[in-house]
Amino acid sequence: MLFWVIAAILTLGASLAVLLPLAAGAKGTSSSGDHDLEVYRDQLSELDRDAGRGLIQPVEAAEARAEIARRILRLDNADTAGKASARPASVTARLVATVAVLAVPLVSWGVYSQIGSPDLPAQPLSQRLTKNPADSSVDELVARAEAHLAANPSDGRGWDVLAPVYLRMQRFSDAVAAYRNAIRLAGDSAVRQAGLGEAIAGAAGGIVSADAQDAFEAALKLDPANAKASFYLAVALAQEGRNKEAITAWQAMLGTLPPDSPWRSAVEQALAKSASPEVASGAAAKGPDAADVDAASSMSPQDREAMINTMVAGLDEKLRQNPRDTEGWMRLVRSYVVLGKTDQAREALGRAIAVFGAGSDEAKKFTAFAASLGLTATE
Amino acid sequence: MVETGHFALVLAFALSLVQTIVPLFGARLNNQRLMAVGGPVAVTGFALTALSFVALASAYANSDFSVASVWENSHSLQPMIYKITGTWGNHEGSMLLWVLILTFFGALVAAFGSNLPATLRANVLAVQGAIGAAFFLFILATSNPFIRLNPAPIEGRDLNPVLQDLGLAIHPPLLYLGYVGFSICFSFSVAALIEGRIDASWARWVRPWTLVAWMFLTGGIAMGSYWAYYELGWGGFWFWDPVENASFMPWLAGTALLHSAIVMEKRSALKIWTLLLAILTFSLSLLGTFLVRSGVLTSVHAFATDPARGVFILCILTLFIGGSLALFALRASRLTAGGLFHPISREGALVLNNLFLTTATATVLVGTLYPLALEALTGDKISVGAPFFDLTFGPLMLPLLVLVPFGPLLAWKRGDIIAASQRLMAAFATALAAMLVTGLFIDGASVFAALGIGLAVWLVAGALTDLAVKSGVGSVAPAVMVRRFAGLPRSVFGTALAHLGLGLTLLGIVATLSFGTEKILTMRAGETVELSGHTLRFVGLYPAQGPNYSEDRGRFELIGVSGSPVGEISSAKRFYPVRQTTTTESGIKTLGLSQLYLSLGDEAKDGSVVVRLWWKPLVTLIWGGGLVMMAGAAMSLMDRRLRVGAPSRRRKQASAETPAVLP
Repeated sequence: MLFWVIAAILTLGASLAVLLPLAAGAKGTSSSGDHDLEVYRDQLSELDRDAGRGLIQPVEAAEARAEIARRILRLDNADTAGKASARPASVTARLVATVAVLAVPLVSWGVYSQIGSPDLPAQPLSQRLTKNPADSSVDELVARAEAHLAANPSDGRGWDVLAPVYLRMQRFSDAVAAYRNAIRLAGDSAVRQAGLGEAIAGAAGGIVSADAQDAFEAALKLDPANAKASFYLAVALAQEGRNKEAITAWQAMLGTLPPDSPWRSAVEQALAKSASPEVASGAAAKGPDAADVDAASSMSPQDREAMINTMVAGLDEKLRQNPRDTEGWMRLVRSYVVLGKTDQAREALGRAIAVFGAGSDEAKKFTAFAASLGLTATE
Repeated sequence: MVETGHFALVLAFALSLVQTIVPLFGARLNNQRLMAVGGPVAVTGFALTALSFVALASAYANSDFSVASVWENSHSLQPMIYKITGTWGNHEGSMLLWVLILTFFGALVAAFGSNLPATLRANVLAVQGAIGAAFFLFILATSNPFIRLNPAPIEGRDLNPVLQDLGLAIHPPLLYLGYVGFSICFSFSVAALIEGRIDASWARWVRPWTLVAWMFLTGGIAMGSYWAYYELGWGGFWFWDPVENASFMPWLAGTALLHSAIVMEKRSALKIWTLLLAILTFSLSLLGTFLVRSGVLTSVHAFATDPARGVFILCILTLFIGGSLALFALRASRLTAGGLFHPISREGALVLNNLFLTTATATVLVGTLYPLALEALTGDKISVGAPFFDLTFGPLMLPLLVLVPFGPLLAWKRGDIIAASQRLMAAFATALAAMLVTGLFIDGASVFAALGIGLAVWLVAGALTDLAVKSGVGSVAPAVMVRRFAGLPRSVFGTALAHLGLGLTLLGIVATLSFGTEKILTMRAGETVELSGHTLRFVGLYPAQGPNYSEDRGRFELIGVSGSPVGEISSAKRFYPVRQTTTTESGIKTLGLSQLYLSLGDEAKDGSVVVRLWWKPLVTLIWGGGLVMMAGAAMSLMDRRLRVGAPSRRRKQASAETPAVLP
């Protein structure tokens, strides 16, 4: 509402700027001839000064004086001819004036109604972060928690609350930092270690790296029954190509998990996938949480393939821009193998080796990894 | 507040349309009322644009991510100063700044133009309004900074880290004040063409605007050069980059305009040429805007991917440049020629200056556009770099710079070249001595160094000679001399300062290019390195955390003669996580007029760091000279001559001012 009042006042002001001069009586203004005469007079006096300072020789000064005098004479002639041209307001003038006065509100309101967002209030960040939490979006709540933790970085409980939220929002690197802070400040626990492992794996795009495995193992040490840690360690086995051991581990989990555990279906999915050679370790490598696995399995096969293709293409693009990502390359190569695109897998492998140099440690790692997938660098 | 700004922008567009049409009709019909509309509308239009700009700036300051442009170019963790400067650190905001300055100049004409002939004033405001209308439409149609996002993101994407620098606060506003300032000269020219006559006061009105625009453009270019020097991390101060050329071309043409306007103002000669130059100068400003803003420069193909903006600016360009030149072709023959002069005279010298400067402008234009045209036509990417400009621009500048000191010493209408040469003997001797000293004692191998230093000293000494001769050194008693010196018109000081500044800039360039040294090496903490007599010790690499970046700061100590540290230099590699970008913060230590410049390279695994080190003798003179040139322009602006030309104000001035002091 306030906005419309302001808009109306602004429009009124702008219209007045057009209307007032039109309504005012015509003031007498000096003709251009008067201006010119003044300039010529000044040129004459300046000429005298310049001559006095020796900037112009006496003969030339006289010539110049004559030139200026001629201009003044010409000016007098032109002036007497041009003075009578003031005419009363014509029909055209009235028309132009009317159109101009109408144009201001019509153009402004017309254009604004097409491109404006009058109902959208300004949203300064500080205001968004102090309003009633019940009205806030998840993003805003997270931002508030971040602001709080920036001010009190030693609040372990705060980090503990924020970390799983980051994980769910797929902000994996933030989640890693948050879990590490929570462990450091609020103490070690199986849940935190398992969360840390999941975050590390998520940041690596689903690869359960050595760091992630360390975290999961630490979680199991604290709580041998931690399902998340057991699940991901089995995923790690599958990713290393030790499919049989992975299956054994998952089957062992099925034996010990309580019947209402949310992990039960995730394990079953993983088992189903590792049994079908087509998808092999690829799906498990995405490192999804239980909900994601559910979502993916409820998709039609075409949809799922489309989704996987998009994800792989996205990863490929990311690596083009940011090539020094060892685990990313391994993930890409494996994805292509899983999708049956051997040529592209080989091409990706070649690119990966090229990035780090043929003799580097990374290149050796890539070659060994590719060999484990049944892929050779050159054919 | 945001939508108020948006609405104010739309309203300003509506007013610019009125400002274009109504005064134009008024001048045509000789209707006082219609003509009178221009002034208040121009002032109101400026007020609304300013309101709009303030609204956008406050959205940036308050991190209002519901505004798309804020979300794309800001971050809540940025320091406040960069939040605010980020307003114009992007395409949309910088275009808003552009029109803000445009309407500002329009409002100035409206506010202080009461002593202009009514029809001229109306036409000037109409042309100014037309330029404004075109750019308002461009902003609203293709680059609206007030596009909203709903729901609003919680965090922005951060400003390009290279722009997170104080340079952004100064460089674009100065540059735009220069670019857009020339729009007034353009409007005056087109207004004169529309009327078919040039008032005698025309040049007196145009010259101060030219001076103002030229002053700001000089400052903007100098600032931009210094910014690139310290921010890009490899110590170059001019790259012949198309973006730089885009601002350099209007500067060259504007310099020519400045000089031809003197002739027109003093002697009513060169009228038509001055008019054409004013049109060309602003056309080059528009071309610069087009090159930088359309995306043509990053690649001709980028232009094809986002055609709306590029094509729109191209249309504006065609309309204004083509339209004004067509009008010029149509009307120029009706304009009367002015005073006569001999080839060797002050006027003649200024014509020569114009010839050289416009040819140089053409050279830069070819060097800038040819690669673009070639890429568009054949797809071949070539780069016309420093070698091209060294071979073409350099030889053109050389004779011009040699002739500069002669100009101010020649008399109007008919000059005496021999007398002028005699007066310059002292300056010539100084320059020769400088050349000999350079050649014999500093660097005998480089002819360029000796010639360049000689030329720079020649310019400086020539400018001082001008002042000395005009205050009568050697011919009158000291007391009279002091009185004369104090009584010299401000414009004489302006000329001398500007030419002096040019000499200083040249001195800086030549000294840096000829005597600068550089070293690239890997260093470990505790090691020392020596460069041109300065010893630096690498203290170590220290990580630090900024508000929105993390950095590795390398600290270096400058070791004095006694072996104890006398100063510290530090250079850093910064990482901005939001944009995943790394920047280099160079370390600079100013010693006298020279600088020690240091930039950190990659860190090796064993803890050693690549360090690049430059010794840049007299380098600060490059930009110091620019400041002196600006001071010259400011001095000229204060000259009384520029205040004459108005019947009503004349009488007051005559009584207020003492007559020129003359013996």
